[in-house]
Amino acid sequence: MNEPKKISLFHIAWKNLSRKKTRSLLTVVGIALATWVLISLFGFNSGYKNSLDRDIDNLGFQMLVVAKGCPYEAATLMLKGGTGLKYMNEEVVKLIVREPEVESVTPMLMQVVFDPNKGQSGGLTAFLGIDPATFPSLKPGLSFKQGGWFTDPEALEVVMGYEAAELEQREVGDMYFIPEKEIELKVVGVLSRSGTQDDGTIFIPLKTLQKLFDQPDQLTSVGVKVNKEADLARFEEKMFQLPDVQVVSLTQVKTTIMTLLSTARVLVFSIALIAILISIMGVINTVLMSVMERQKEIGILKAMGALAADVFKLVWVETSLLCLLGGLTGAGLAVLTSRLTEYLIRQLLPFSPSGGLISIDAGLILVSIAAVVLLGLVSGIYPAFRAARMRPLEAIRSEEE
Amino acid sequence: MRGKKLSAKTRAWKHSGTILALLLSGLLVNLPLSGAVGCDLNDPARDIKMLFPQSTGFRTFYVSVADSGGQKLLGKIENRLGDRFSGLFETIDVPYTVYEIYKNNELIGFVHGVNQKGRYGGIQVFLALTPSGEILSFYVQKFTGRGAREFRSPQFSAQFVGLKLQDFDNYQVQSRQEIPPGPISRIKNPVPDSEDDFRAILRAVKKNLVLMKFLVFNRQKPGEKSPIPTAVLSGPFPGPGSPALIEGESI
Repeated sequence: MNEPKKISLFHIAWKNLSRKKTRSLLTVVGIALATWVLISLFGFNSGYKNSLDRDIDNLGFQMLVVAKGCPYEAATLMLKGGTGLKYMNEEVVKLIVREPEVESVTPMLMQVVFDPNKGQSGGLTAFLGIDPATFPSLKPGLSFKQGGWFTDPEALEVVMGYEAAELEQREVGDMYFIPEKEIELKVVGVLSRSGTQDDGTIFIPLKTLQKLFDQPDQLTSVGVKVNKEADLARFEEKMFQLPDVQVVSLTQVKTTIMTLLSTARVLVFSIALIAILISIMGVINTVLMSVMERQKEIGILKAMGALAADVFKLVWVETSLLCLLGGLTGAGLAVLTSRLTEYLIRQLLPFSPSGGLISIDAGLILVSIAAVVLLGLVSGIYPAFRAARMRPLEAIRSEEE
Repeated sequence: MRGKKLSAKTRAWKHSGTILALLLSGLLVNLPLSGAVGCDLNDPARDIKMLFPQSTGFRTFYVSVADSGGQKLLGKIENRLGDRFSGLFETIDVPYTVYEIYKNNELIGFVHGVNQKGRYGGIQVFLALTPSGEILSFYVQKFTGRGAREFRSPQFSAQFVGLKLQDFDNYQVQSRQEIPPGPISRIKNPVPDSEDDFRAILRAVKKNLVLMKFLVFNRQKPGEKSPIPTAVLSGPFPGPGSPALIEGESI
C-alpha cells in the first residue's frame, strides 16, 4: 500500500496564491515598488553622504586661520584695491598643530602686485605662496592639465590655475613675468578646472614668495583640516583664543545647509514610511480577502484535524511568500534602475557632490528584504489569526449560506 | 555612550554642511565651469568710447569657429593666417566677443579682441575696425612682459591705423617675414629686445583680422547687422541723449 503523499505548507500556500494570480501579482508589485523606493532612498542617503565625505576630503582644509583684518580671498583683496594685507608669524602654525582636533595644516602667504598694463587704468595680480610639502595633500581634488607641483620648495617656479593660465596663455615650460617685481618664473604646472577659486590662482612656493616680496617667516593664512569627528564649533572657539588671528568659517551658511539636509532626510524617510504603510495595507487586504474567500476550505481543513496553529502557519507562509517575492523583485528593480535614479536625482538637485549618489550594497539589500518580510509577517498576523480561530462547522456553513 | 555616538554623527554632518557651503560658494563664484574663455573689453562702455569717440551705443555678440563652420572653417582660417591654432588655449571653441558699434542707428564699425601668447604672459589685442575691415585704432588691453609701456604707447598703435587684412597677406607668421617687404615691414618694433612679443602682436593683429573676415564679414550681407550670434547684450553709453539699443534687437 502506498504511503499518502505529504504536501508541505509551502506547497499549499503557493497553490493558494496561484489560484488568484492577478491579485497575488498586484500585491507582489505593490511590495516590490515599496521595496524599490526603500532601497533607493536608503541607497541615496548613504551614497550622498559618502560622496559628500569624499568631497570633504578632496576639498582639503575646512577652515582658514588668517591674520586679524586680513582679506582671506583674492576677490576680497581685489575689492580692497590690493591693500590691507595683514601678517602672522609662522610660529602660529606650531600653536595650531598642537590642538588634538587638527589633522593637518598648510601655511600660506598671499601677495599682490599692481600691473599698470592691465586695461586702461591698470589692475592687480595676486599670488598665493604655498608649502609644497603640505598643500598638495590637503588639496587632493586638484589635478593637473599639464605638469605638476614645484621641483623644489625654493624654486623660481609657478603653478597656475586653469583660468589664470588661460588669461596669461601659459603652458608648462613657458616663462611667467611678475610685473612690478620684474621677476621671471618658470611655469611647471597648469591645473585642470576645479570649479573653485583655485582656477584663478597663481601658486608660488611659499619660501620663494616670502623671499621675492621680502616677507620672511610671514603668513597671511593657515589652512586647517580638522578630524572628521572633531567639534568644529569648539575648535573655532579655541582658535579665536590665539593672538591676532581670526577664523574664517561659514557658520550661517552651514546652519542653513544643515537644516536643508535634515529636512531632506526627514522627507526621504517619510516617503519610505508611506510607501511601506501602503504596501502593508495591500498585504493585509490581499491575505484577508483570500482568507475570507476560503472559509469553507479552512473549515474542512480544521474538520479533517488541522490545528489552529497549522492554519495560522499556512496563512503566514502565504504572506511571507508574497513579501519575499515582492522584496526580491523590488531589490532587483532598485539595483537595475540605480543609474537612472541617480541621473534623475542629479537633474533635480541644485547641488550634488561628485561620485555615486546611490550606494546599494548587499547589506542594504538583505536588510531591506528582511525588513519587508518581517513587516509582511506582522501584517499577516491579523488575517492568520482570523483564519486560525474559525470554527469548522460555522466556516463551512457560512460559505454555503 | 549612545548619546556620544549620535553627537559625533551630527558633528560629521555639520562638517559636511561647511564643506558643501564652500563647494557651493566656489561653484557660484566660478560659473561657468567649462568651455574656453574669450577676450572681452574690461570696461566696454569706457573702452569703446575711447576707440570710437563718435559712437552712441554698441551691441555685443559671440561667435566661435566651432559654431560657425567647425574644422573646415578652422582649416581656412589657419590657411589664411599662415599658422596653426595651437596650445592649450587656442582652440576651436573659443568664443570671440564682437562689439558692433553704432552712431545713433548707423553701424559705424566693430571692436574685436584676441588673446595671444607672449614671451612672458598673455597679450590681449583689440582692433577697432570700419564696417569694411580697415583698422581705425589698435589697443593692447593687457600685456605681461618687458616693454609693456612701449607696446601700449599711442606711437606704436598709430602704425596699425589704416591697415587691412590684405596688407598682411604677404606677412608670413611662422617665418616672421614679409615677402616682398610691404606695410608690415614698415611697422617698427619699439622694444628691439622683445622681438618675440613684437612678432606675437603682429600675429595677433593678423589673426584678429582673419577671424573677423571669416566669422563676421563673410557672413554679413551689405546693410545687414551681425551674423547669427550665440548671445546678445546691449550697452548704451551713459549720459543724456544717448539713444539706447534695445536688448535682443532683431539681428
